[in-house]
Amino acid sequence: MSSKRITAAMLAGGFLLPLLFAIPAGALTDQEALEKKVRGITDQLRCPTCQGISVNDSEAAFSRQIRDKVKRMVREGQSEDQIKAYFESRYGEWILRAPKKEGLGLVLWVLPGLLMLLAGGWIVYTVRRNARVNGKDAASEAEQPLSKAELERIKRDVRLFEEEL
Amino acid sequence: MWKSWKFWLVMSGVVTVVGVLAYGFTVNPKFVKSPLLNGPAPNFTITRLGGGETLTLSELKGTPVLLNFWASWCLACRDEAHVLQAAHKLYEEGQGRLRVLGIAIQDTPEKSMAFARAFGKTYFLALDNVAGDISLSYGLYGVPETFFIDAQGIIRFKHVGAVTPQLVRNNLATLLAPNDEGKQ
Repeated sequence: MSSKRITAAMLAGGFLLPLLFAIPAGALTDQEALEKKVRGITDQLRCPTCQGISVNDSEAAFSRQIRDKVKRMVREGQSEDQIKAYFESRYGEWILRAPKKEGLGLVLWVLPGLLMLLAGGWIVYTVRRNARVNGKDAASEAEQPLSKAELERIKRDVRLFEEEL
Repeated sequence: MWKSWKFWLVMSGVVTVVGVLAYGFTVNPKFVKSPLLNGPAPNFTITRLGGGETLTLSELKGTPVLLNFWASWCLACRDEAHVLQAAHKLYEEGQGRLRVLGIAIQDTPEKSMAFARAFGKTYFLALDNVAGDISLSYGLYGVPETFFIDAQGIIRFKHVGAVTPQLVRNNLATLLAPNDEGKQ
């Protein structure tokens, strides 16, 4: 075999070899992407037979069936919203772990933030009011002339201090 | 104290919490509101346990259906087995005015058959597939669950837990009423 042929074979191998590895790597990525999407959806669905855990975290038979169903629906090309809507149409809004951002659900989303804002505002208001009142008290005290008794006491203390020296 | 806004704020919080708890205690956990109520029953095709006969729900339009989900491993299903069989004997075999269907879920054909034999079930029994397609389409939480479907194929009532003769009689009275429009 001539050196040119060897060089050509090596070049072709150099191009083709990475492709051989690239195909399974790509397939794995698709599978991982599918699993990630399924996990993302099943994390938002409540296990029908458990206490407060998601379909994703449960090994109950219903949860396994829901996971498989979600996987099939994703493979069929259905969107996350379509899949969630399907389960909501069968189980009601209960199946969704997070309340919907509409109607009464919107109140549940907004209320904690609103309460935190109100609490924060109240704290700021109280701190400022107390600082203002304390500042006013200190200023008004500073403006007051000393009484006779206070002057006498200061003089006495100064005298004692000088004597000790 | 009565004029303090802080007092009324705390009181309103306490009243709200007590109210929510009180409401929770008054609700029957066996009555689960289903979004399927007053809507069309999801269609399915099932094959009879131990035989090749198939049945499609939509083909039963014109006849009310008592659809029960059960399993051989379910203890409460034993309690209601004779009630369902009695409904089948009285309303289906006796009067031909009702279809009683039983779909076993998360079960095997052998165990389902053994259960059916042990409790003398003679109505149409089938097994949901491994994927649980029928169970999920009916939004099941467990077994037993029973759906009362009117002659127009609309789900009118759903019961979670073992059915009693009184419950079956009351709901069928509405479904089987003469000139029934199937509405409760």
